[in-house]
Amino acid sequence: MMADRRRVNGPSGGTRPAVFASLAESGTGVSERAQRQRQPSELRKIFLKTGLIPTASGSSYLEFEPSASLAAARINPKSLIPPSSALKLACTVHGPKPLPRSAAFSPNLVLTTHVKYAPFAARKRRGHIRDASERDLGVHLETALRGAIIAERWPKSGLDITITILEAEDDRWWADAPDSHDASWGMMNVLAGCITAASAAIADAHIDCLDLVAGGVAALVSDEEKQSSAAPKLMLDADPAEHRSIVSACVVAYMPARDEITELWLKGDSSKASLENGDKRSVHEALLDGAVDAARGAHTVLAEAVRESLLKTVG
Amino acid sequence: MATPAANAAPSVSPSLSLPPSQFARLQPHAYLLAHLSPPPASNQPSIRANGRAPSQFRVTSANAGSLTHTNGSAVVRIGDTTAVCGVRAEILHTDDIASWSVSSSSTSNSNKRRRLGEKTTDEDEGQDENEEDRAHIEDLNLLVPNLSLSTGCAPGFTPGAPPSALAQSLSHQILSLLHSTRLIRADDLRIWYQPPNLGSEALERHNESQQMEIDAGQGSEESDPQEIKAFWVLYIDVMIISLAGNPFDAAWAAVLAALRDTKLPKAWWDIDNETIICSDDISEASRLSLRGLPVASSFCVFEADAAAGWRAVVIPDVNDQKAQNQRKKGPQQKWILADPDGYEEGLSQERATLVVDKAKNGKNVILKMEKHGGWSVDTEDLRQLVEISGQRWDEMKRILDQC
Amino acid sequence: MVEPTASLSTLNRADGSASYKCPATGYDVLGSVNAPIELPARRDALKPEDATIEVFVKPGNTTAGVGERYVEGILRSVLTEVVLGRERGYPRRGVVITLAIVGGGSVERGDSYLTVLPALLHTSLLALLSASVPLAMTFSSALLGVTKSGDIVRDPSAADAKAASSLHVLAFSSKGHLLLNESEGCFDFDTWELIRERAVSICRGAAVSGTGEDVAMGERSNDARLDGFVRETVEDRLHVDYAWKIESN
Repeated sequence: MMADRRRVNGPSGGTRPAVFASLAESGTGVSERAQRQRQPSELRKIFLKTGLIPTASGSSYLEFEPSASLAAARINPKSLIPPSSALKLACTVHGPKPLPRSAAFSPNLVLTTHVKYAPFAARKRRGHIRDASERDLGVHLETALRGAIIAERWPKSGLDITITILEAEDDRWWADAPDSHDASWGMMNVLAGCITAASAAIADAHIDCLDLVAGGVAALVSDEEKQSSAAPKLMLDADPAEHRSIVSACVVAYMPARDEITELWLKGDSSKASLENGDKRSVHEALLDGAVDAARGAHTVLAEAVRESLLKTVG
Repeated sequence: MATPAANAAPSVSPSLSLPPSQFARLQPHAYLLAHLSPPPASNQPSIRANGRAPSQFRVTSANAGSLTHTNGSAVVRIGDTTAVCGVRAEILHTDDIASWSVSSSSTSNSNKRRRLGEKTTDEDEGQDENEEDRAHIEDLNLLVPNLSLSTGCAPGFTPGAPPSALAQSLSHQILSLLHSTRLIRADDLRIWYQPPNLGSEALERHNESQQMEIDAGQGSEESDPQEIKAFWVLYIDVMIISLAGNPFDAAWAAVLAALRDTKLPKAWWDIDNETIICSDDISEASRLSLRGLPVASSFCVFEADAAAGWRAVVIPDVNDQKAQNQRKKGPQQKWILADPDGYEEGLSQERATLVVDKAKNGKNVILKMEKHGGWSVDTEDLRQLVEISGQRWDEMKRILDQC
Repeated sequence: MVEPTASLSTLNRADGSASYKCPATGYDVLGSVNAPIELPARRDALKPEDATIEVFVKPGNTTAGVGERYVEGILRSVLTEVVLGRERGYPRRGVVITLAIVGGGSVERGDSYLTVLPALLHTSLLALLSASVPLAMTFSSALLGVTKSGDIVRDPSAADAKAASSLHVLAFSSKGHLLLNESEGCFDFDTWELIRERAVSICRGAAVSGTGEDVAMGERSNDARLDGFVRETVEDRLHVDYAWKIESN
């Protein structure tokens, strides 16, 4: 690979991430998997603040509450391997601004979304150039927001939404080997956070919207050793690091005032799974309801943050 | 852009018809000048448009160690400029270094022996050790700082675009300063291996020449030669989350705070797997022992006559200028503004950046002093700036010690 | 001290060009200037009343990297002050300066760019003169190193520069202003004042220097004023270009 001359490059031979002894000799000395301390329908607390970046038209900063295990590890650090991680991201909105000369005429506000992980955001070092998953997140985010913004109020204008993820969510518990159930589950939590944060930043930039759109995640998890023995459980705002395996997960962007979903993303194989006894809903319905409930929870935080931002501008 | 109100009522002072924020946008230079040179009768102190005194820095805060997936991290806010720095350590095996040879690892033996004894201090570090320290860090690219402005930190930086000229230049400045201040000791980054004694099977894997060396080493000295098996490479990534002027001071402070926070795990060469294994035990991890505490302070020069110099071609000779200044105690012509915000940076050409550290006797040691973009700052001003930077050093040390 | 050599208008197609060779540091720089030219792609970024200066630095044996961006920024800020961008024909147009380091050691990743800086500054000045770009003043620049033992050396070689305890590049305008100072290493302000004095005597001769009598004398006896060097280079070129006229007189 040709070295990137626009950046400071590391050794040309490449470097390897550290291998920890506790991981290499698997089975011995491995610390316990983090356990979910919350109720199945209990969400993590969200810290959301707007207007921290004054050079932007609107901005927000979002942080998920660290899980119990991570909080414990922070207070009393023993291992260099963090048990789980908690989402931290910053969102800025620039605009509405005139479109560049080269752009074609647009009767609506042209939305550009951009999601980028910081190189140090995840367990594995990220590259500087956007990869497929980051582009994917950008597209999902754009769909979620486009349904909420009243775009015809700003013809010939553009709106840039940029999200920098400083700390991402884990896709699985760090000591688990990648297996067939493995997917980038953490990305779904990240998307939910992106939607909520972007919505707050758009409100902070005083862009007219139909409603504040909030993101929520629900997942079907199975914590048993053998997957067949028990029905998977529905968990709201599931942290992948806390579960043995995730059967399927769903993220929605939801506007409570209109009871409308602007973005829906369902992942995983839930065709064979069945819910616990007494639940007549199909698995998809249950996931969807769960995700909407999670989004409602995020919406209360969002509304409070926007109210604060409004009081700041008025007062 | 005259407002109707101003036309209708000329008797009213026209400046009242525009709110200050509008005036600041339309006539930025006059706006800042009016703040800095209040009428003598008013007895007001010269103050910047942002309410600071000329040599006053913005409120600074630092917070270290809040990012989970880093070996060290820090968030530094200087006013509205925010920099986040994360340090990630990865391993560079000497097998992966094309230019690495056995001889280069065995030359370190003498140093190693010294290292085993008392921890050497800066004063009694040998010249050759300094040289090797520099060579290892610089030639093997062990420090990889990169700064990103594509975070939506300010309008004008397209997200997703390759690093702008400013971002590239800041990355270079950070790397260059890390090298020239020799902040990081190569010794902290080396991962050693002590081969077992002669006769063990490990020896068979070594080639002939090295075997000879080991033999020689055994004959003359008691201690076994140790060899470097790998290095830690520090990826130092700075994300400027919010840019409101003076990115360098914030970025450098974040790098410094993150490096002070950095812990490297204990690592050893695992002969069976032929790889480096680390311990995740936090009590075995070690912090970097940094050389000194270089603190950066940036300044910009605001000149009164930038607008008046519309067609000025004649630039006075420096001696004439001095004489003129001494003769008439006229209004101040230039202000050196510490820690400029984005608004002030847009109104000035001349910049100065100083990096100072303090010796044990409290004396300022200058590590970097640069000024360009104008001709008004000279010896006397720079002397003053060194003093101000020294005061800033005290302030930053307090902030960094607390975080 | 071996004097640098330079020649003007070495390239045919550029509006102005110069080649500059500094034997002490070994650097050989070729510079070209095109001005005034239209910069159509940058219409939004152009200042309405001033010319836009663009500087490109190309290292000899590799493509430009982050270090070049940094030194380009410094050169741009110095040259913007020197070029009279408000003269007729220049506002809203560009002055494009391209500097190629064709000889001398390459500047490695993260290395100090100070050793090449004076050569780059002198080349760009000569190329600007060759292109007849209106200038407010000329300047001259000196590279000084302080060795571990505290001696001040002029134009240290790459190896000496690495071993030096501090490195300094200063540039003075033809009217005596300090246009640029780039210092790195480890030093105190008193050392810098000595450096400045020495640099003044190198760049501007003994006339301006104050207390450092002996140093100034030394430089004067060598007749090593750098701003004189710029003048001589231009004069030489004029003699060549106007040979037909001079001879006819």
